[in-house]
Amino acid sequence: MLIGAPAMHIPDGFLSPVWCAATYAASASYFAAAYRRLKAGLNPEFMSRITVLAAGIFVAQMLNWPLPGGTSLHFVGGALAAILLGPWAGSLCLGIVVTTQCLVFHDGGITTLGANLLNMAIIDVLVGYAVFKAVAGLGGAGGKRVFLAGFLAGWLGIVAAGLACGVEIGLSPQFPYGVEVTVPVMAGWHAVLGLIEGAVTGLVAQHVLSRREWWRGDRL
Amino acid sequence: MSRRVMFIIVVMIVVSPLFGIVLANMVGYHEPLDVAAEKLGLKDRTAELNWTPLEDYQVPGLPPIPGYMASGFIGVALILGVGSLLRRLAAGRKS
Repeated sequence: MLIGAPAMHIPDGFLSPVWCAATYAASASYFAAAYRRLKAGLNPEFMSRITVLAAGIFVAQMLNWPLPGGTSLHFVGGALAAILLGPWAGSLCLGIVVTTQCLVFHDGGITTLGANLLNMAIIDVLVGYAVFKAVAGLGGAGGKRVFLAGFLAGWLGIVAAGLACGVEIGLSPQFPYGVEVTVPVMAGWHAVLGLIEGAVTGLVAQHVLSRREWWRGDRL
Repeated sequence: MSRRVMFIIVVMIVVSPLFGIVLANMVGYHEPLDVAAEKLGLKDRTAELNWTPLEDYQVPGLPPIPGYMASGFIGVALILGVGSLLRRLAAGRKS
């Protein structure tokens, strides 16, 4: 049993080889597109922002808040990265975190790295970004609205990632009961724990976007 | 990285064992996905396929709490190292 592992890293053995390959292919395709989109706009300063936020999210993910009953919650950070950096750079930020966790600390399986990248570095980031943009718009929104937008982005981003995780597990033959069982379990679980993700995302987004000019630069 | 950000990250690493180990042991921590997986009857094959000595955010030879802290510093150092490499690549392409 992992001592301090984050909440959504699929270990080896949970997904079928077909799903492992499919999620690797999907993630690789996305990051290839992200690289093409990012390479024109990346500069050393923007890369610093990406990696400093990645370092912060990595450490934040180590801060598990154990709950009575034997489970825990912690911050994932996909929506926050998208809000502060933009969707492509946010995915790169979470991609660095998830890959480091997998390769160095065995947090999440090597066969399921594609799925973990898809869930946390792509789906969480993109859903979080879309929700934030829809609710707040980027720029010009007041503090309360930024908090609300960040809250919904963090919450719905993590629910979407949990839902995707449920679909991947449910469609793998290792689990005989299918998505009708896995999706409600995973999505429901993350819908509850995601309220904290939303609150943290809203508070940090509100604080950073209102006080730090540094974060008002490029978003890619 | 600004001193303020570095200070925040260091503080988070120093207190991380309190959350990741001490409180986790107090409540009999299980990862949420593992709880769900147990209900779903899935088998974790992590122990059968390991490639790193730093599994579970532990450092061989160190007790759990300093090992967890050291893992935090190692992870941050690696991420910033990758960032430094990417910065140089970005700077080289711009020049």
